[in-house]
Amino acid sequence: MADPLIWSPLQLGPLTVRNRIVFSAHLTNYAENGLPTEQHAAYYAARAAGGAGLIITEEHSTHPTDWPYEKLIHGFHPEVIPGYRRITEAVHRHRVPILAQINHNGGQASSMYSRLPVWAPSPVADPLFREVPKAVTTSEIAEIVASYGLVAEHCAEGGFDGVELQCSHSSIVRGFLSPATNRRHDDYGGSLANRARILLEIVAEVRRVIGPDLALGVRLCGDELIEGGTTIDEAVEVARMVEATGSVDYINTSIGVATASLFMIEASMHIPPGYSMFIPSAIREAVDLPVVGVGRFKDPLQVERALTEGQCDLVGVVRGQIADPEFVAKARAGHTDDTRLCLSCNQECVGRMGLNRWLGCIENPAAGRESLGVGQARPVSVGRRVLVVGAGPAGLQTAIAAARNGHHVTVLERSEHAGGQVRLAATVPNRAEFGDLVRNQLQECGRLGVEIECGVDVDLAEVRRRDPDTVVVATGSVPARPWWAPDDAEWIVDVRDVLEGSVQPNGSVLVLDELGFHHATSVAELLADRGCQVEVVTPGMVVGQDLGITLDLENWWIRAEAKGIEQTTELVPMSAGDHSVTFQHHPTGTEQERRVDWVVLAVPSTPADALFGELQAAGYAVHRVGDAVAPRRAHAAVIDGERVGAGIMAASAVLVGR
Amino acid sequence: MSGVSPLLESFDLASRSVRNRIVLGPHETNLGRGRSISERHVAYYRRRAEGGTGLIITEEASVHPSDWPLERAPLATECGPGWTEVSRVCHDAGAVVLAAIGHSGGQGTSHWSQRELWAPSPVPEVNTREIPKVMEAGDIEAVVAGFASAASLAVGSDCDGVEVNAGQYSLARQFLSGLTNTRDDEWGADRSRFLVEVLAAVRAAIGSDAVLALRLSCDELAPWAGITPEQAPDLAAALVSGPSRVDLLTVVRGSIYSAGATRPDGHTDPGFNLELTRSVRRAVVAATDGRVAICAQGSIVDVDQAAWAIDDDVADLVEMTRAQLADADLVAKLAVGTPERIRPCVLCNQQCAVRDNRNPIVSCTVDPATGHEADEPLLSALDVAANTSPSRSGTAVTVVGGGPAGLEAARVAAGLGRPVTVLERGDHLGGLLWTVAALPGRERFADLARWYERELLRLGVRAETSSDVDTSDAAALSANGPVVVAVGGTDGDPGVDLLDGAEFVPARSVLSGDQIPDGDVLVWDPIGGPIGVGVAELLAAAGRNVHLATLDFIVGNELARSGDLGDANGRLARSGVTMHRRSVLRSVAPTTATLEDRFTARRYELDVVAVVDAGHRLPAASASGDLGVAADGRWVGDAVAPRTVHEAVLEGRRVAGTFSG
Repeated sequence: MADPLIWSPLQLGPLTVRNRIVFSAHLTNYAENGLPTEQHAAYYAARAAGGAGLIITEEHSTHPTDWPYEKLIHGFHPEVIPGYRRITEAVHRHRVPILAQINHNGGQASSMYSRLPVWAPSPVADPLFREVPKAVTTSEIAEIVASYGLVAEHCAEGGFDGVELQCSHSSIVRGFLSPATNRRHDDYGGSLANRARILLEIVAEVRRVIGPDLALGVRLCGDELIEGGTTIDEAVEVARMVEATGSVDYINTSIGVATASLFMIEASMHIPPGYSMFIPSAIREAVDLPVVGVGRFKDPLQVERALTEGQCDLVGVVRGQIADPEFVAKARAGHTDDTRLCLSCNQECVGRMGLNRWLGCIENPAAGRESLGVGQARPVSVGRRVLVVGAGPAGLQTAIAAARNGHHVTVLERSEHAGGQVRLAATVPNRAEFGDLVRNQLQECGRLGVEIECGVDVDLAEVRRRDPDTVVVATGSVPARPWWAPDDAEWIVDVRDVLEGSVQPNGSVLVLDELGFHHATSVAELLADRGCQVEVVTPGMVVGQDLGITLDLENWWIRAEAKGIEQTTELVPMSAGDHSVTFQHHPTGTEQERRVDWVVLAVPSTPADALFGELQAAGYAVHRVGDAVAPRRAHAAVIDGERVGAGIMAASAVLVGR
Repeated sequence: MSGVSPLLESFDLASRSVRNRIVLGPHETNLGRGRSISERHVAYYRRRAEGGTGLIITEEASVHPSDWPLERAPLATECGPGWTEVSRVCHDAGAVVLAAIGHSGGQGTSHWSQRELWAPSPVPEVNTREIPKVMEAGDIEAVVAGFASAASLAVGSDCDGVEVNAGQYSLARQFLSGLTNTRDDEWGADRSRFLVEVLAAVRAAIGSDAVLALRLSCDELAPWAGITPEQAPDLAAALVSGPSRVDLLTVVRGSIYSAGATRPDGHTDPGFNLELTRSVRRAVVAATDGRVAICAQGSIVDVDQAAWAIDDDVADLVEMTRAQLADADLVAKLAVGTPERIRPCVLCNQQCAVRDNRNPIVSCTVDPATGHEADEPLLSALDVAANTSPSRSGTAVTVVGGGPAGLEAARVAAGLGRPVTVLERGDHLGGLLWTVAALPGRERFADLARWYERELLRLGVRAETSSDVDTSDAAALSANGPVVVAVGGTDGDPGVDLLDGAEFVPARSVLSGDQIPDGDVLVWDPIGGPIGVGVAELLAAAGRNVHLATLDFIVGNELARSGDLGDANGRLARSGVTMHRRSVLRSVAPTTATLEDRFTARRYELDVVAVVDAGHRLPAASASGDLGVAADGRWVGDAVAPRTVHEAVLEGRRVAGTFSG
């Protein structure tokens, strides 16, 4: 068998990359006051240490008119250079090349932070920011071109191995390229050659500044997925123009517009892996330059297949390396099973970005906290015997963090399987990948020698019998019955009852969504697939509101419509009769009734904290994590577990509780 | 107005003498550095103290690390140096300073702390839906101790006292309320117990000399379990008459189910809380022999209303927070007998409401210097200059266009001593301010137009209305001196198929009173701001059947920041407006409009006689002609790109700054 392409080196102009996996550009919100931070350096260094072939940083803004989100790196300030050096030195220590992405977001911005008019080719308001931009004059275009040169110079001084021009999903260059946003009649509008003029001017200027020894890449959008926008044919043409300059060393690709079709850029688990590979494939047929492909690459086999099929020369793996910085190293060593697989859940990476928070990861609590040392082993001199009660995500992460430091950990689980609610959540259509959260944790527990016993119902006597040094209660939560639902109404059930299979609703089903996340929408789909007539009702303004944060809302709507699922908002349940529920439409105060065969509740659950209370009363040094503290989402369980597990001190360092 | 305003009488607040009755209440600013009180805060409060504010209550600081509601929400343990500096500059300017301290409990977020929220009971806040941890006895002790140490630090940092928050976003209110406290222990049996403990601990920490203030929600607008106006007087009287000797009580309203109710926008009448305040004051005065001062709060933005509240024994002090964001010199102008010169707050909440994930810096639609006193001091200096009436000198300035951008440029240029002429094409000054003022709840934008008229008159600006400047005039104008182009915008291009005879009417035209044919109408709102919603309300109020279509999942999607989102949807629903969410307007024919579902691509027709376009506008074309060239880059406001009044005023002021010196 031929050597895998994935591990074969590749030349990008002056640059040699040792494998084909790129940690491509993505926002992190790690910047402070417009400057790169220690956290940036630690974050990229962790992926370099993990074996990435090439790292491309998040964007560096070229101009003061460009400030779409608060924590943007202001590359046009020379003060960035020391921070650049800190990043490049940290990455180069692992002999991995790193490029800086430089960009002006154009009209895909607001004046909120800059207090300056937004610049764009034409006064076409962006669909997200909804601010009419100023149409730039030719002298302002020249200023933009020069600004790219200035930032490229800063990047060169900062030790980067080259730069990438983001002309793809949020960029003034994209704005010029796209017929949807370029309505000019001068030399920069109209024909494709005119619309591409600013790009070619920027390429010439940046190459002039960086000279022949640094690499220059251009990232293009292959399909904007917006009306009247750029599609693949024009993208291929532009790629040819870029290659014809002779100044560019590789072409990167993307799909979608960040402020219009983001759900297709950072696709969640509902979109098939490799969904955007038609773009690099088409471009690679037209040009000889190396081409990068991206789009939900989750494992090295998938990468190798894309390479051998000739879809691309390099593959961008972002979320995979956020979840596991050692993605590449583990694959290279043949330990692919040990990879902490990305779930494509988007909860703490994409989800936090949109809310102006630092980039994190649902299952890697170190992500975004690398500079603080989160997740690093701090071996204890004498390990304690730690008993964790409950093998959901909180309990398992507690076990991982404690075992990592040398404690002896046993996890007891009441049910026959580890995984808690994650296991249930992964049983519904299109959500199977969520189950990798627990698969990954169990794999890591196995490596660390954590003992897991299922089918053990733990009470105070059992804890006494086991006589641990430390007890951590991770007993989760139990479904709660809302005040208006009679206890004897067997037709009113919880989401968990349905997913566990303890009830089998049929006929007409009303799903009540008070959680605003996947609970209600998942069970609605499951039941619609089984032939039920489903209506999801929420007191809020949108069913599954937080699906917007994870970019699942658009596709939920498409699926829900296809499955005939009704959605009704702003209804508060007031009482239940015989197979009927009365709601108040709170904006108008009017009443509505629904007569249904079943009601499925997605409502706040109640902490299962009885054991915690008993252990406290008995004088144990006991901790509590996850839903047993307060019912929250999976990331909170993992964070709790990591903090508590990592905080358990050496046996010699503290008095044993009791 | 005769005699001195009662607002200017000094007031003895416990051991402190407050020089007048006007309070700057605590509010989020995002001015901090990390979780400390920053140099930006210092400049911000200093500007108000120098403008004459009697009592300044600084932005709330969290008393315990379990509370981290906003990324830059101050944390008391990090506020010592900042409080010291704020106190120093405000004392130097004659103001009394209290530090607001609090804990937002279940109304915070876990996203910064990465820890669970703490609350009396596991009741999620409606927007975040985060289920908090039920506080254990040790947690309660820790927070009470946090209040005490925060208060001690504040007073030790030269603040005159502290204000404990039991208002809109507060753990203390969550304990007081049956909505959020369902505990079965001693803190549930006596829901006041937590706050009583806090007040006692704080009083013990600050001693008898310092001021202890309390902000209390006296109406949670949720009568089924919340604090009601009927209960509030007794509750307040009991809280302030206890041994902790509260000195000042500010009466507010709101709860987890009414987030926008404490400081609503112009859809709620100014002074909405005054009768509630009166009834609370009556009970408190009776219970304390008048020892406890009462402060009124609630959209009080006019000095006449504030003065009435004092005269009529509604309150002893009046919080005029947003009014002093709109004009930091409110008290100074009142003191020299020119209240008509106070720049009006328009109650839009568009720039000052900053409880938002994006961490916007507090500012003001009508005064863009607000919040930027430290990083762009020129804006404040220019405003101060425009408040004087200097002699005329220097080269004349011509401003083409009498909308907010042009008026601000003219006002400030005149304040700098330039002879100024405004040339306005229409028959009156104010531009779109009058159009905006036709929207429900936005009437006060007309007050801003009138204010500009008065100020320009005072400053001797020559205004020529019905003066259409064309390109042939441009050269002649620029020969006289600098020209500012503030010609505004024009109707937009929505990219919709318009069939012959289709009535496709810009919102501007409807708001200007232009008639549209009788019958059902569709309002097409691709922005989701105040205009689409407002036009729909107006048309519905005029008795029409109204449809409102938006691309978004939520109607009025962009109204969240100003606090009107929920209310706007309620008003629309109650007025019978039919809402079409997730919809794209495809075409308009004489009696129909075609909408398309964004996700199913299903198209359907509405029978409507007209479609009102509430979409984006375009810059006026003439700005790019010879006139623009003659202006040498001095384009401002909508002529650059149609945006809001805030950007217009900002750019008008900045361009005028080029005429200084």
